[in-house]
Amino acid sequence: MMNMFRSGLNVCCLALGKRLSSTFAGESALPSNLLIPPNLVEVQRRLRPLPTDSVPVLHKCEAEIARHLRPRQAWLESLRSRGEDQLGVVELHPDVFAVHPRIDILHAVEVWQRNFKRISHAKVKSRAEVSGGGKKPWAQKGSGRARHGSIRSPLWRGGGISHGPRGPTSYYYMLPMKVRVMGLKVALTSKLAQDYLHVVDNLEMPTPDPEFLLDIVRHRQWGESVLFVDANEAFPENLLQAAAGLKMVNVLPAIGLNVHSMLKHESLVLTLDAVKFLEKKLLWHDSRFTPLYPFRLPYSDFP
Amino acid sequence: MGPRRDLPARSLGSNMSASVVNMLTRMCATIKPAYVWLSPVGVVPSAMGRLRMASSSTAEQKSAVVESTEEYKYVERLIPPTKIPTPPLHDGPAPSGWRPPSAVTPDLPYMVRRSRLHNVPVYTDLTHGNRKTTLLRKIEGDIWALENDVKEYLVQLTGKIPLTQVNEVTMSIRIKGHFDKELKEWLLEKGF
Repeated sequence: MMNMFRSGLNVCCLALGKRLSSTFAGESALPSNLLIPPNLVEVQRRLRPLPTDSVPVLHKCEAEIARHLRPRQAWLESLRSRGEDQLGVVELHPDVFAVHPRIDILHAVEVWQRNFKRISHAKVKSRAEVSGGGKKPWAQKGSGRARHGSIRSPLWRGGGISHGPRGPTSYYYMLPMKVRVMGLKVALTSKLAQDYLHVVDNLEMPTPDPEFLLDIVRHRQWGESVLFVDANEAFPENLLQAAAGLKMVNVLPAIGLNVHSMLKHESLVLTLDAVKFLEKKLLWHDSRFTPLYPFRLPYSDFP
Repeated sequence: MGPRRDLPARSLGSNMSASVVNMLTRMCATIKPAYVWLSPVGVVPSAMGRLRMASSSTAEQKSAVVESTEEYKYVERLIPPTKIPTPPLHDGPAPSGWRPPSAVTPDLPYMVRRSRLHNVPVYTDLTHGNRKTTLLRKIEGDIWALENDVKEYLVQLTGKIPLTQVNEVTMSIRIKGHFDKELKEWLLEKGF
């Protein structure tokens, strides 16, 4: 732990600069206003050469892609063994996995997710609620003391609080549906752009051993925390048993995918079914009418 | 008098709680044997008996009603869709003046997409009662190149360089003054 701090800012900058100068030829390595956290751990990802024979495209996007955009590609991997991580290539829709990186929307959706469920139960008694204090403690004039009307006024020790938190307060608010959808798209885009998105054909595992799962995660350099997402809620037993004891590996159905979970886990592993489900659901919002009545009521082409 | 057996509990009014309804139905169950005992004597039947006779006649009337689900198609065709349809193909402009985007994407460093209802995304705004601006949205690619082209075009039109604001986060350009018709025409000529 101390080694990270001792390495210092200069070494970190040099390492980052070396990586960036290779990608952006001709430009300076690092922008001058870049803030680097002092405990940044640089994990050197190994670059593997592409296979010499043609790579099969195992899944194409079902929805139409705009003519000026090209689909993004990701390797199709498998959890069956440690080495099965280049089965083929999967095409991802650019309107879900390559949108404009709106970090402000990502922040807004993350803050909304934290706060809309919050009910703060803090409550203090005001001068009306503190027991006692109905009687004037002494006469208005003549006693020589300051004039007071009740022993529970906010001026008094033991008196009520004048402007304290009053009762359960709700912090509920809803962001527009399209903003929340855009947040999911931006999060998926960011994961893909940072090489933290992996696509798996299914979540079948040969053993329920957590060590096997951790070995795969470490070997394929997926990061410290991994989120497995499948389209339906029926997960294979082996994966559930393996992930049950692990703190850093979690499993989630695709309807539960949210920006907070994606930001919390370093790496996101989607099954092919989950990719199809997410593309279908998120692309529907791009070409839908504004609702005449809530979507939970029946429409002719909405399930 | 207890509640009628043939009516569901809900129709008795929302004020009646479930426990009260349960109590009343249990009371009905206890009253029933009394009716059965009275009937052979020929005594005027109790209130429950009168109710029983009324319910049997309505059951006969109900059997004359025919249930059919074939007319539901008249309801189904009224339920609206959610997806915006793609516009039909026209030869040239549509009768309303609408023109589709060109089949070939223009060879420019930027792209302006259509709105979800297939229109050109140029909007006017009027704030403070007198401040006119035009907003050009849904831009992708090199936004500064588009801003240069917009400025060149509007300089030819008006004679003075328009004030513009480029928002790189939302990828939109705001121009001082109302130029929506001109910019829509210009973008359609470009093929967006």
